[in-house]
Amino acid sequence: MSQFPQLNQEDVNHLNEVMTELLKKSEAHVALLVEKAGYLIHQCGNQESMDTTTFATLGSNAYNAVQFMAQLVNENNFTSMYQQGENFSTLMVNVDENSLLVIVFPTHLTVGSMKYYASPAARSLAERILAATNRAPGQGLDLSDLDPTDVQSLFQKKEPS
Amino acid sequence: MAIINQATKELQVKIVYYGPAKSGKTTNLEQVHANVQVPNASSKGKMTSLATSSDRTLFFDFFPLEAVAIKGFKTKFALFTVPGQVIYNATRQIVLRGVDGIVFVADSQYDKMEENIETFKHLEENLKTLNLNLDDIPYVMQYNKRDLPEVAPIEYLEFVLNNRQVQVPSFEASASQCEGVFETLNMITRMLLHKFLNDSVRK
Repeated sequence: MSQFPQLNQEDVNHLNEVMTELLKKSEAHVALLVEKAGYLIHQCGNQESMDTTTFATLGSNAYNAVQFMAQLVNENNFTSMYQQGENFSTLMVNVDENSLLVIVFPTHLTVGSMKYYASPAARSLAERILAATNRAPGQGLDLSDLDPTDVQSLFQKKEPS
Repeated sequence: MAIINQATKELQVKIVYYGPAKSGKTTNLEQVHANVQVPNASSKGKMTSLATSSDRTLFFDFFPLEAVAIKGFKTKFALFTVPGQVIYNATRQIVLRGVDGIVFVADSQYDKMEENIETFKHLEENLKTLNLNLDDIPYVMQYNKRDLPEVAPIEYLEFVLNNRQVQVPSFEASASQCEGVFETLNMITRMLLHKFLNDSVRK
């Protein structure tokens, strides 16, 4: 399994452009690029009312679980997942081995139209991620300032009140 | 595997609490969530638990926690638990995907020793299915429930569970009383950052 690459500012700008365009064309509310281990990579749209971090984690794990189910019945062609709601629905589209595009949209829009707009967006995102993988920018963090003894007690317990 | 975003100066890492059923994995997360000092409210996310009606973990518990561990980088720790019950083994594999660090929460009671050993074996097997090797992943042992009467001595637990080629750090804990919980979390985060440091030097 390859690793999700490091992104630079140009990559992020490109992801933002693709996802903003997707929202504009599809009239969806929110688009999230999610790494399949549960990490939220990038988000666009009207996400103020949502806990997008939790949404991304739940979405990726749900997708992974259903993919696992598909494999149990020898179904290898598993590329999207749809959850129908009363007010908002969610479509999750595979981008590449490591990432997913999660789209939240109002139910008066059809899942067919979402898939129509999501497919080229997912392809464009995948191409950019592949380019970032091939470029491998920065190869690791500059940790020259890190003194591991400083992180001996990174998390402190609250004093009893 | 950790996500490094140079553009947004963020590092995201995933820590999974693994162990047999009812060993205290969820309790560890609950105690961290309830008691951790944070500079501001947004540093600590909501705790999400996908549990059965009898409060047993069905899929996972999750909560995100932020800290500035590396100068100039916001580090986001995603803390997960797996379900302890063997019937949910497939679910454990899903949660382990992309793991950076592991806390193995063992139940110190004598009659849970077989379950501890079996679960540890499952952990190694599940990592293999993801093409991961436990030797390459920082992990720590937590011997929980030390407050209960019928617990095995630490030396015995070390012999049974921490007897691999490289012994890992281990902690006694009573997670229900928040004892040993922060020590364990701080050690695994420290080991993770050491690993990033070593990897960056190698590169």
